[in-house]
Amino acid sequence: MSGLSEIGVKVESGDAQEPELRGNTLPLLHEIHHALERLVASNEPTVIDVQSLPMGPGDLERLMSALGDGEVRAELEALGTTVIRESRFSGVWIIENLNGKGGVASRFIEITWVPELLQAQAEDVQKGLTELAGALASAGN
Amino acid sequence: MAASNTVGDVLRANGVSRRGFMKFCAATASMMALPPSMVSAVAAAIDSAKRPSVFWLPFQECTGCTEALTRSHTPTVENLIFDAISLDYHHTLMAASGDRAEEAMYEEMEKNYGNYLLLVDGSIPTGDYENYSCTNGHSHLSMLLKAAKGAAAIVSIGTCAAYGGIPKANPNPTQAVGVQDLIKDKPIINVPGCPPVPTVMTGVLAHYLTFGTIPELDKFGRPMAFFGQSIHDRCYRRTFYDRGMFAETFDDEGAKKGYCLFKVGCKGPVTYNACATLKWNDGVSWPVQSGHGCLGCSEPDFWDKGSFYRPLSAAYWGDAKTVGISAAAGAAAGLAAAALARGKQKKAQQQEEQA
Amino acid sequence: MNEGLYWQGMTLLDFARGPAFRWSVAIFIVGVIWRLTMLILAKRKRLEPPKGAPVAGGTKAVATRSTPPGELYGGLTTLLTRSAPAHELEKNIVFQHYSGYAWHISMFIILFLGTPHMLFFADILGFTWPTLPGWIITFFTVITMGILLVLFARRLMNPVLRKISTWDDYISWVIAFLPFLTGFMSVAHLTPFMDYETMLGLHFLSVCALLIWFPFGKLMHALVIWPSRYKVGAAFARRGVRA
Repeated sequence: MSGLSEIGVKVESGDAQEPELRGNTLPLLHEIHHALERLVASNEPTVIDVQSLPMGPGDLERLMSALGDGEVRAELEALGTTVIRESRFSGVWIIENLNGKGGVASRFIEITWVPELLQAQAEDVQKGLTELAGALASAGN
Repeated sequence: MAASNTVGDVLRANGVSRRGFMKFCAATASMMALPPSMVSAVAAAIDSAKRPSVFWLPFQECTGCTEALTRSHTPTVENLIFDAISLDYHHTLMAASGDRAEEAMYEEMEKNYGNYLLLVDGSIPTGDYENYSCTNGHSHLSMLLKAAKGAAAIVSIGTCAAYGGIPKANPNPTQAVGVQDLIKDKPIINVPGCPPVPTVMTGVLAHYLTFGTIPELDKFGRPMAFFGQSIHDRCYRRTFYDRGMFAETFDDEGAKKGYCLFKVGCKGPVTYNACATLKWNDGVSWPVQSGHGCLGCSEPDFWDKGSFYRPLSAAYWGDAKTVGISAAAGAAAGLAAAALARGKQKKAQQQEEQA
Repeated sequence: MNEGLYWQGMTLLDFARGPAFRWSVAIFIVGVIWRLTMLILAKRKRLEPPKGAPVAGGTKAVATRSTPPGELYGGLTTLLTRSAPAHELEKNIVFQHYSGYAWHISMFIILFLGTPHMLFFADILGFTWPTLPGWIITFFTVITMGILLVLFARRLMNPVLRKISTWDDYISWVIAFLPFLTGFMSVAHLTPFMDYETMLGLHFLSVCALLIWFPFGKLMHALVIWPSRYKVGAAFARRGVRA
C-alpha cells in the first residue's frame, strides 16, 4: 500500500479559486442564437435540455446571468412547481422544474413564441368545459 | 395491484392534468437521454402503456443502490415513475412486513407470470457458500432462480448485481457472481455503478415503461444511451488533458485550478457511465468535479484493477525484488557465457601459438 | 495488492498491464544483463605487449600510447566520434544517417516527453518531469512511422540491402513499428473491429513484445554500441592509426 502514503494531502480552508474553464457557456449562447434565427425565419421552435450537456462549475451560472430576466414570469403548479420565465431575449424561455425541496430538478430552454406548458391543453380545456357546465347546471340553469 | 390500467389512466386517476402529464413526459424523455423533440412521441407511448408489475430483490449488497434511488431529491418525477410502474415488492423497504409481504410477493409473481420486471441489486454467492446470503431462510441463489422464471426481463442494478462487484473482488470468499452469470434465458439489462446514477436507474425503467422493450445494450449489457460514452470523452476537464495541464497531487495549484486528474489515477478513459453529464444529487457534482479521479465503478472487476491512485498508463512492471532476481539471473548467465567465451578464445590462442 | 495476479474475467488490457508486463520486464532484464556481461567480460586479443614506463611528452603523449590510460581515452572519445559518419563515407550514407537521427530524436521525444509514458517511468523512478501537449506527441508519432515506412521500402527496393537483410532486420522493424502504430491508433480512437480498451491492451502488449525481443535482436544496438565502441576505440588507440 506504499502508493497511498505517498499521496500528499494538506487540509486547508480558504476561498475557492475561480475555475479557469469557460467551457460551454459561449457555444450554448450561439446555439440559442441560431435557434432564435430559425424561429423567426421558419417558425420552428427549439428545446434545449440543459441537463444533458456537460457543464463545468460556473458554466450554468454564467449562462443564466447572460440570459438574464425578461418581462414574463409564471409559476405552474402541476406535479410540483415549475417556473417559466422569459429571458431578456424575447422568445427565449427558461423552464425550471423544481423538486420538493426548492432546488431545480431539471432545466429546459425553449426558443418559441409561447412555451407549450404555458398554453392551455386541449384535454384540460375539455375537462374544464364539462365541469363548468355541470357547476352552472347545479346552480340552477 | 392489477396491471390492467394504462399509465395514462393511473396518472389521470391521481388528478394529474394534461400539463402535468406533459411535464412528466418531458422529464422522462430527458431521463432517457432522448432529445426534447421526441417528447410528444414519449407522451403518446406512456399514455397508452400498460402498467407493469415490478419486484425488487436485494441480495448480497450494501443497500447503496436502494439508498441512491430512494434518497433521490426529485420526489415528484422519480416517485411518480415508481408509482406509475407499481413497485409491488421491495424486500428492504418492506422488511417490517415480514412473512406476509413475502407471500404477497410470490402471489403477485404468479398472477403476472411472464410479464413482470425483476430488479436485482447485490451479488449472489454460489457453490459451497450459497447460504452466506439469505433472506428468511431462503438462499439468494434459490430466490433468484425462482423469481427469474416468470420475469419478462431482469434489471441488474449496481455493479454487484451486474458483474459481482466488491464481493467478487479477489479472492472472492463467497464465490459471488452477477445475475448474468446465473440466468441465461431472460433478457438482462445491466445498470452498473457503485452506486449507479439514480437518474440512469429511473431512465432505464422509464424506457421500459414507455416502449415496453429493453433499450439498446453494449457489450457488457449496459444501455447505450447512458453507458455509450466514456467519462473521458464527456469530461469538462478534457481540454486540460489535451493541453497537458495536470494536477500532480490533490492539493497543489493544478488541483485548485481544476486541472485534469489523470496523474492522480483517474480511470475516465476506460470507464463508461453518465456521471460526467448527469452528475449526482440532481446535478450537484460528481467525483472529478469534486477533485477526485474516476474509480471506474461501472466496469466489471474494477476493484481488482489495482490502485485507484495509479495513473492508467503505469503498468505493473514488477517490484525491486523481481528486478533484482532478474538482474542476478542475467549476471549469472552472462558470467557463464563469458567464461565459456574466454575458454574458447584461450584455446584458439593456444592453437594459434602452437601452429 | 492484486497487481500482477490473475483473476477471473481479466480483460486483455488487464493482462497486458499486469502479468504480461511483469514477465516481459523480467525477461528484458535477464537478457540485457546477460548479453552486456558477456560482452564486457569477453577478452579481446592483444596483438603486442603493452608499453610499460611512462614516455616523455607529457600526459597527452601518454594518453595516445597503448598503455591503459591511452586505451581509456581512446575508448571514451570513440563513443562520441562514431556518432558522426566517417568523412570518406559521408556522401554514401547521408540519407540513412540523417533519417536515423530524425527517427531517434522523435522516438525519444515521444517516449520521454509524452505524459502517459512519463507517468510510466515516474512510477519506477519516483519523480516526474514536465511533458509536452498531446498533439505534439501525435505529430512526432506520425513522423516516426513515416520514416520507418520509408526505410522499410528502401530496404526492400535497394538490391544490396535486400540481399543482406535477415529475419532479424524484419522482425526488429515490425517490433519497433507496432508500439507507435498502436499508440497512435489508441490516442486517435481509430479502433477497427475492436474497442478502445482492446487497442490500448495491444499497445501495452506491443511494448511487451519489444521488451522480450530487445536483448536478442538488432534492437539491442541501443545498449551494445556503447561497450562496443569503447572496445574498438580502446583497441585502436595507438600511434599512427586513427580509429
